[in-house]
Amino acid sequence: MNAYFTVFRMRWKMELQYRGAVIGGVVCQVFFGLILVSLYRALYASKPQTMPIEAVASYVWLQQAFFRMQLSSDSELMDKIRTGGIAYDLCRPLDLYGYYYVRILAQKLLGSLLRAAPMLVFAFLLPRGVGLGLPVSLPALAAFLMCLTAGLLCTCALENLTMAFTMRTLDSRGVQAMLNLLMMILSGNVLPLTLYPDSWQKVITLLPYAQVLDTPIRIYTGQYALADVPRALLIQLAWVLLLVWAGESMWRRHQKRLIIQGG
Amino acid sequence: MDTIRLYIKSMRMLMKSQLQYPASFLMQTLAQLVMEGGEMLAVILIVDRFDRLNQWMPGDLYFFFGLMSVTFYLTEVFGRGVTGAFPGMVRSGQLDTLLLRPRGVLTQTLCSAIDPRRFACIAVGTAALALGSRLSRISWTPLKGLLLAESVLFGMLLILGLFMIEAVFCIYSVKSVELVNAITYGGRSACQYPIDIYARPLRVLFTVAAPFALVMHVPAAYILDKPLYGWPAWTAFVCPLAGAGVFAVMYLVFRRAMRHYRSTGS
Amino acid sequence: MAFIEAEGLTKTFTVRKKREKGRLLREKTRVKALDSLNFTIEKGELVGYIGPNGAGKSTTVKLLSGILTPDGGTARVNGLVPWEQRRQHVKRIGVVFGQRSQLWWDVPILDSFDLLRDIYQVPEADYRRRLSELTEALRLEEFLRTPLRLLSLGQRMRAELCGSLLHGPELLFLDEPTIGLDAVSKLALRDFLKQENARHGTTVLLTTHDMEDIAALCSRVMVLGHGRKLFDGALPDLLQRYDTRRIITLRYDGDAALPDLPAGCACAEEGEGYRIDYSPDQIPTAKLIALLQGAGNIRELTAQPQNIDHLIAAMYREMDL
Repeated sequence: MNAYFTVFRMRWKMELQYRGAVIGGVVCQVFFGLILVSLYRALYASKPQTMPIEAVASYVWLQQAFFRMQLSSDSELMDKIRTGGIAYDLCRPLDLYGYYYVRILAQKLLGSLLRAAPMLVFAFLLPRGVGLGLPVSLPALAAFLMCLTAGLLCTCALENLTMAFTMRTLDSRGVQAMLNLLMMILSGNVLPLTLYPDSWQKVITLLPYAQVLDTPIRIYTGQYALADVPRALLIQLAWVLLLVWAGESMWRRHQKRLIIQGG
Repeated sequence: MDTIRLYIKSMRMLMKSQLQYPASFLMQTLAQLVMEGGEMLAVILIVDRFDRLNQWMPGDLYFFFGLMSVTFYLTEVFGRGVTGAFPGMVRSGQLDTLLLRPRGVLTQTLCSAIDPRRFACIAVGTAALALGSRLSRISWTPLKGLLLAESVLFGMLLILGLFMIEAVFCIYSVKSVELVNAITYGGRSACQYPIDIYARPLRVLFTVAAPFALVMHVPAAYILDKPLYGWPAWTAFVCPLAGAGVFAVMYLVFRRAMRHYRSTGS
Repeated sequence: MAFIEAEGLTKTFTVRKKREKGRLLREKTRVKALDSLNFTIEKGELVGYIGPNGAGKSTTVKLLSGILTPDGGTARVNGLVPWEQRRQHVKRIGVVFGQRSQLWWDVPILDSFDLLRDIYQVPEADYRRRLSELTEALRLEEFLRTPLRLLSLGQRMRAELCGSLLHGPELLFLDEPTIGLDAVSKLALRDFLKQENARHGTTVLLTTHDMEDIAALCSRVMVLGHGRKLFDGALPDLLQRYDTRRIITLRYDGDAALPDLPAGCACAEEGEGYRIDYSPDQIPTAKLIALLQGAGNIRELTAQPQNIDHLIAAMYREMDL
């Protein structure tokens, strides 16, 4: 347990050391947020949709603020896989899945908290319909936070599985780029999932990518009513369990194979 | 002339070395294809839901997207030395090696990298241009073709110039890639849609500081037979020169910065 | 006018310190890498340039090759100021960094040379002549068409040398050229450099930590420390100054213990025998041996001068580097 805390502490120190990168990242993300909101406002001016523009603006800002939760970020671990240095870790007597999971969790949690806080404040101060609106109700805010936590657990499990998967492929960089891209498209970062054709949404919202940010944000903006929350949470947790199970068994197989083959 | 020959020769050699790993190359090219395909998908979905954007019809939107895509990724293919490799060259000390040769640093930087994987993106962009041209029923004339080429060419200079901001930061060993990304990649994302959807401050930014609007949107409006934001028709041919202006300014800044270059290592 | 003239060369770097607790901004300190350095080198000289890590050797080379601009002082190489007339200047020099490559990693070295010819705009006839000469001298023939990444370290260094000499430079900077090379490659490299210097009168400035390189190649050596020149002259002169100690190793029959030795002698057990480090000025060698004989039957005894590396280490210590 102690080792896991150390991982968090080290990550925190690292994040603080690269404050310049954090500030730059926030500015960049704010910029992207402004562009996207402008685009959707112009589109809405031509043809309004059922989802109000205020909700779309909130959707965009929450997506940008928690951007860090989506992108695979552990370049150190990726390098290890590419260069084969991962073999050292595989030989270590520790629960690899748990260790990597905590590493990824620390990165995503601390990284996005540090960036989200200033961005949300900024977005909140923008005029209505451009900036971040209030949650539809207080219970909705509570449900949002709960589902965001579930989403975080889900994205970490997803990245861990991806990591295990890329180890088996010839060119991990290409596969990684492809999976990252799938994440960006299917999580609502490129285009809010609420703006996809309605028939597509029925399927897309069930995929693990939608569980990360789309589900929590829909609760925040009121697209999902409070009555829908139990169902949404259930889907999220089902994915978490499934992804953890798949990831864990894959890492275990890697470890076993390495021991049998003797490296 | 000799410089161009050197550049072509370098490119040929770099291509040869990239093709030494065909499997990896194919895989990464495929990833690029899917990536740019995904970007285009976003435009398709927007068109599907909204039908139009201010006075711009679906075909116009594809045309804007395609123009930006082709220009941006042509720059990434042939200007990879500046758009991608330069920071690494400063860190690894490779820049020292360039300084030891009797050629300009920028020339050699451009000669030192190519990124042919991005041809996949250019293919998507070209498809978007073709689609946009059909849907908007563009009546092509030689003059319009010339203007398209001009826009792409000066757009490349503009993008190269913007990436040189990052290069200058690197020379002064300032680490803020994200900040520069806002102007380069952010500029690309913003200006693949027509400029008139943005509020005044952003419009000013993309007209004066990073003049994508002048280099791409004014010529695009001319080609699409739309009013040029109230300007006479001949301005469509003059505006793109702003791209060369940005490049020239950044070139001077870059040269000045090189005087302060402080090499790495012992 | 000398071939290379450096006068008052000064270069300062700003180093950012780690942020201390409670301080918002990082403190900056200025470090003098070079502190008004003066020297001249004549055409055709082979000069060794030594000093501990961080003394400013690489900075000197980078200034003289036009990579860096100094804060103060001037230098002229063959009449040109390197950092002001960089392009003309680098046409006439060649530089080899032992730990950095100037050739292209994934392509045959011949293609690299070909591109270098275009970069330096070497006339075709000169290039042909030079390439065949260097190919023979450096024995490159067998791997001219092999990509750089497949070559051994020794082969790679030979290729690098060829690359930096193709345009026939009058001045060659070598920065740690023998680092990591095996004995055979080292010897071959030294032979080649001597030959190149003799045949073309190439001036060579050699930076190294390998004193054998200096001893084998350089008629003159400059010692740098804390950005200042501490010594400039012939290697034997330098050594003589610090070569005040001798070493005796010996073994007794059976296990006799060492006698008490006078102060100033350092002894250590070494294998089954002893190693004694002493100064003949304090105790004459004959007297020391007599003393040692008194303690038992000596089976084996050798006396030798100090290892050159030890000498240099002693010198750095004395100069407080």
